[in-house]
Amino acid sequence: MPSILEPATIPKPVIVKETSSDDDRAPTFYVICWNDPVNLMVYVTHVFMKIFGWEKQKAQKHMLEVHEKGKSALAREGMEKAEFYVHELQKYKLHATMEPAE
Amino acid sequence: MRLVKQSKGNWQYHLNHNEADILLGLVKKFPFTELSQIKISKTDNEPATVERGKLLNESLAEHRKALKTLAMNLLGNEKWQPSGEGQLLTLDSGSREILLQILNDIRVGCWHALGEPEVLESPAAHSSRKDLTYRKLMDLAGYFEMKFLEPEV
Repeated sequence: MPSILEPATIPKPVIVKETSSDDDRAPTFYVICWNDPVNLMVYVTHVFMKIFGWEKQKAQKHMLEVHEKGKSALAREGMEKAEFYVHELQKYKLHATMEPAE
Repeated sequence: MRLVKQSKGNWQYHLNHNEADILLGLVKKFPFTELSQIKISKTDNEPATVERGKLLNESLAEHRKALKTLAMNLLGNEKWQPSGEGQLLTLDSGSREILLQILNDIRVGCWHALGEPEVLESPAAHSSRKDLTYRKLMDLAGYFEMKFLEPEV
């Protein structure tokens, strides 16, 4: 009697053809930060650096875009990730939403 | 209030007695306002998105409760040391972020309570006592945010 049970046959590996995946067709969203008169510029810059790991220069560029143009698209992501970013930005009380990219 | 030392993810600030009392008061009494409901999207009104928005609001409400608990830890003596004409406040990176979130919750919450004015000028002479309190809290929270982030300016 064998001490280890062995399969009678070795299963064949499943080969998946590389075609367009579901991810490719999944909807994407822009993470938008909207202007308001209450969040301080230095604070907004800090939050962008913290959440997106950006250098100060990039964070300031987006902060100024929010301030001067009323909004800035901070990222384009799939639903889960976009939602994550909105959540993080909202924790800091920035006015952030996710908008369909198409 | 000024930054005294920053090293290895730790910040040490000096606050005079008045600043220390006010900051502790703000943290102790947080939150001052009702939590505003947010929309997760301005353009997407699909039922699934609306549902996600509800979950987001629930999650933010939980986060606010957690902030309150964490805020109480910031009142702990181990973070405060008497120093000359005031107090030294030592914060690690995480505590500093919590404090910033609390301060901005106060600031933005008061702004909502004031009716989201587009211009943040001096309060009108006929402002109610409640509005004046919101205005004062908003300014105080902004003052401390600036001071905590000043080294980054």
